[in-house]
Amino acid sequence: MVRGGDIGIGTCLLINGTPHIVVEREFVNPGKGAAFARVKAKNLKNGNVITQTIKTADFVEDAQVDLVDCQYQYGDGEVFHFMNNENFDQFEIPVAGHEDRAPYLKEGETYTIVMWEGEPIDIKIPYKMVFTVAESENYIRGDTVSGATKPVTTETGLVVRVPLFIKQGEKILVNTETNEYVERVNE
Amino acid sequence: MQARSRMVTALREFFLSRGYLEVDTPALAPSLIPESCLEVFATEYVHPTEKGRLLYLIPSPEIWMKKVIAATGRSVFQLCKAWRNAESISRIHNPEFTMLEYYGVGLTSEDNIGLTEELFDALADEKTPPHARPPFRVMSMREAFSEFARADLDALAEPESMRAACRERGLLVASDASWDDAFNVLFLSLVEPALPQDRPLVLDRYPAGIECLAADIPGTMYKERWELYVDGIEIANCFTEMANPEAVRRYFSSQSTKKKAALVPHRIDDSYASIFDHFPPCSGVALGFERLMMVLLGKRSIADVLLFPFEAFFG
Repeated sequence: MVRGGDIGIGTCLLINGTPHIVVEREFVNPGKGAAFARVKAKNLKNGNVITQTIKTADFVEDAQVDLVDCQYQYGDGEVFHFMNNENFDQFEIPVAGHEDRAPYLKEGETYTIVMWEGEPIDIKIPYKMVFTVAESENYIRGDTVSGATKPVTTETGLVVRVPLFIKQGEKILVNTETNEYVERVNE
Repeated sequence: MQARSRMVTALREFFLSRGYLEVDTPALAPSLIPESCLEVFATEYVHPTEKGRLLYLIPSPEIWMKKVIAATGRSVFQLCKAWRNAESISRIHNPEFTMLEYYGVGLTSEDNIGLTEELFDALADEKTPPHARPPFRVMSMREAFSEFARADLDALAEPESMRAACRERGLLVASDASWDDAFNVLFLSLVEPALPQDRPLVLDRYPAGIECLAADIPGTMYKERWELYVDGIEIANCFTEMANPEAVRRYFSSQSTKKKAALVPHRIDDSYASIFDHFPPCSGVALGFERLMMVLLGKRSIADVLLFPFEAFFG
């Protein structure tokens, strides 16, 4: 069980028998009412997002999940193929319901997979990741406005706005929550 | 800050020109009225030789202003600091904030809708976005539940029927949730996020199941109470003030019992209820002044209208 006031982004709740991961949370104090946590939670089976409001003093059921390190191998449009780093088991996660993860998956990279009752239900994306710039248009010479940026596409298809000096083939560090450029990575 | 100064000057002129008396009441008090939903800040008066005394920062100047009304029979207003503890520091919450309260003797909550529209007109400027300008849209809580939760509030008068309405809509609710907690689960999940935001919205006729000092509407399960939402943010709360001293005593007694679970307990002065033995008919509005500034200036966060917001204290 988890107390309403302790629910945060990433908490797994068991709602009507189905695991949900909290993607947004705010505390609300309705006039003349108790304090509540209002959360948006994603159904980890079908991807639907629902709103729930839980009194901060109340306890609700959380989903007992396991976190397992797994290597992403490849995607075929229908499913993502993973391998468990501990026992080398291979398994699939359907793309449907996890489309938003696709631009962050790099072949050969290790991710934390959320397992519930032995089934993989979610892919955790690291907060910051290094990507290679796959496509970048040359900026227009003379555009010297300070802080000017241009969009580039990474090898995984993610579009990021970067400073003009970044070139195709270079590596960049990206904040995966905001899709913002952090810095150039020199090797 | 220039905008704040201009608005404060304009609102003083607004109320003084309408015959309201500006009052100044204590911020630090030895006892407060019991309001079970609020947590307060406690501090101590240290006497050089004698025993010290616990004191509390007011969460609202309401009861002091009502003492002035009972003594003078006049309409009053005040712009003052108020403090609320144990609320998250967020886009719309700062533990220290400025409260504007105005009480009109002889007015009802309905009269105060018009007065508050005039106040918005007086304070708005060219930066004020269209969705923060009058006229206000008025919607009853019953209409809002019907439209956004597909629920007939009149049929949900019992705690169990309200809890069942939550469960039928897939909402988590404690099996022993009180009526007002279950109401808030439904309201905060389905109704409040769906309220129209194209104009300021007066959400009118709150259910009597939420205890407060607003007058009952005879023969219904509702009270003469509204809250004003602008941009999805709750800006103000208004009552036609409860005038029945017995009902006020029952309210204080019930809230005192609930208050025993408070994180920061405070002394309760039961003599407050006696103010209402001779209290003129009136209606009061409590309005969060920084939130009003936010919506009139088109700002996203309360930190954008404070010189020294709390979030900066803690980094």
